[in-house]
Amino acid sequence: MGHFVTSKDIAIDGDHLTFGKLSGLKTITGLVGGVGLVVGVLYLVFGVKGAFGGDLGSSKFHGSFAFAWLFAVFFFLTISLGGCFWTFLHNLSNAGWGTSVRRLKENLGFVFPFMILFCIPFMFPNVQQYLWEWLDDYRNAVKAHPNLSASDALFRSADTHDHLLAAKTFYLNDKMWYLRAALFFPVLGFFIWKIRNLSIKQDTDPNPGTKNLFAARGLSSFAMIAVGVTLTFMAFDWVMALDYSWFSTMFGVYVFAGSALSSMAVLILTAIILRKMGHLENVVTQEHYHIMGKFCFAFTVFWAYVSFSQFFLIWYANITEETRYFLLRNTENWNLLSLALVFLHFGLPFLALLRADVKKNTKFMTIFCIYILVMHFLDVYHMIIPERGPSVGLVTDHQPQLWISGAWLLDLLAFAIVACGFVFIYLRHLTSASLYPNRDPRILESANLHN
Amino acid sequence: MSHKVRRVYGYLAEFKNASQLYKAAEKVRDAGFKKWDCYSPYPIHGLDNAMGIRSSILPYFVFVGGVTGFLTAIALAYTTQVGLYATVVQGKPANIFTVPAFFPVMFELTILFSGFTVLFGLLGLMGLPRWNHPLFASKQFERVTDDGFFIAIEARDAKFSAEGTKALLAEIGGENIELVEDDSE
Repeated sequence: MGHFVTSKDIAIDGDHLTFGKLSGLKTITGLVGGVGLVVGVLYLVFGVKGAFGGDLGSSKFHGSFAFAWLFAVFFFLTISLGGCFWTFLHNLSNAGWGTSVRRLKENLGFVFPFMILFCIPFMFPNVQQYLWEWLDDYRNAVKAHPNLSASDALFRSADTHDHLLAAKTFYLNDKMWYLRAALFFPVLGFFIWKIRNLSIKQDTDPNPGTKNLFAARGLSSFAMIAVGVTLTFMAFDWVMALDYSWFSTMFGVYVFAGSALSSMAVLILTAIILRKMGHLENVVTQEHYHIMGKFCFAFTVFWAYVSFSQFFLIWYANITEETRYFLLRNTENWNLLSLALVFLHFGLPFLALLRADVKKNTKFMTIFCIYILVMHFLDVYHMIIPERGPSVGLVTDHQPQLWISGAWLLDLLAFAIVACGFVFIYLRHLTSASLYPNRDPRILESANLHN
Repeated sequence: MSHKVRRVYGYLAEFKNASQLYKAAEKVRDAGFKKWDCYSPYPIHGLDNAMGIRSSILPYFVFVGGVTGFLTAIALAYTTQVGLYATVVQGKPANIFTVPAFFPVMFELTILFSGFTVLFGLLGLMGLPRWNHPLFASKQFERVTDDGFFIAIEARDAKFSAEGTKALLAEIGGENIELVEDDSE
């Protein structure tokens, strides 16, 4: 037990992360992320068939990269959405313990509005033709029958699969899709920006009180709805709609469970690294790691509960239009990944986190959090990439291609680009304000946490 | 009046407030006593550290209980649904690949057995239920549910002595030091 933390231990002007130690990392991630973003977006948007020679100009390559990009962007979207969720939860629950790490949550959540840069390609038909083929089918049908309603037009289509789409036009139509995409970032972006701003203003307030806290709490009650709706419909529109014939009402919760878990892992990693660099010294203790570790444990179980519930009902009912998602993911080698997720995303972390002392052990938690992020990588991979083979691969003897050989290199490339962009933005936020709300009325309560 | 030989339970001392109780507990701990306890009207944060109480053995019981429940569920579901009377539902195979159907049973029995182990393990470790406690013989101890903060050092402790323990309690700020005798028959 350390000594009792008093206001003498709290830096009056806050604990600022300096550029010096991080300038190298910032330059590299900024450069790779920035250049990669520009090149990636340009290639995805303008890389039409024949614009380049060789492989680069083929729709197989172009389409593969579109899937790789969606995978990488969605991975980091879930983490930043998780940051928003934890921020709002902290404010809403009026929890005293989390004040020390609240700024980290706000910084992680505030990456979300900047992720819009990486989402630009998804708005172009040139990319949509691979990812969301139904958008093309929809547009073609409407164009062919301008006098009919969209659903009637799709019923007259030569492709009988379109009849399924016709029944869903109330949700799956291009205008609504664009409208939802246009609402995701401004609404939630406003909330997280405003709440982070309220928190940062308190740092320099000569008479810090509870005014900003109450304002943030009031705002968080609406923001919490916004984060739930945004995450759910982003998952529906961008991932579930990769295959319009499939639907699952649990899909949003499933994505949420993984995002809350992996963003908590990022928060723990950030806190451990910052402490190692000599920051957050008096305010973050092993008790905080313990609580955050407990959240990791809880969401490991919750992830398993939700993902199994989704699988279980579909597996038991065995209705054709519901099973497609799992049929594809249980075919050949994808089955290995599905099984691996059961044991490695749930079984192992569950057993590893059972004991209380391992959650307080920073060495263990560092390895564990990296492991959780690797598992989240595989989880998002499992959601998105199996759809790539049938979309951009060849069909031989009515058997779609399951795996595009070599495309995993594109996945890693896209992941590296978005990761650099993500780290760069996160670092910018971390360095732009104090690392903890040093004038929060409850910072001492949090620093002296005992659980 | 018959004279009965009564067993001495130990010394009971009162302390002014939670903070005094906390500091006194640290000193009793450092004096090396093992069989003693603090009594207060409400939980005091960090008192378990001040008393030097190590973490409970209960989690290990619960782990074993949970594993037992898990294995029971597997045995129950597998022997009845696959071994003894294979039930074909919805065209699912009656073999190990039907395991998803058993998951809810595994989940529930793991939780049920863990829950029971928590409840009964806790009662067992605390020595509950019991009808009486020797400290109830003390008149002043009634205030423990209201505004009294007490430390009781049991006579069973190896370090206990009639004079030394009384002196220690007085030294660390204990008031109304009382030798409590077990009045249960």
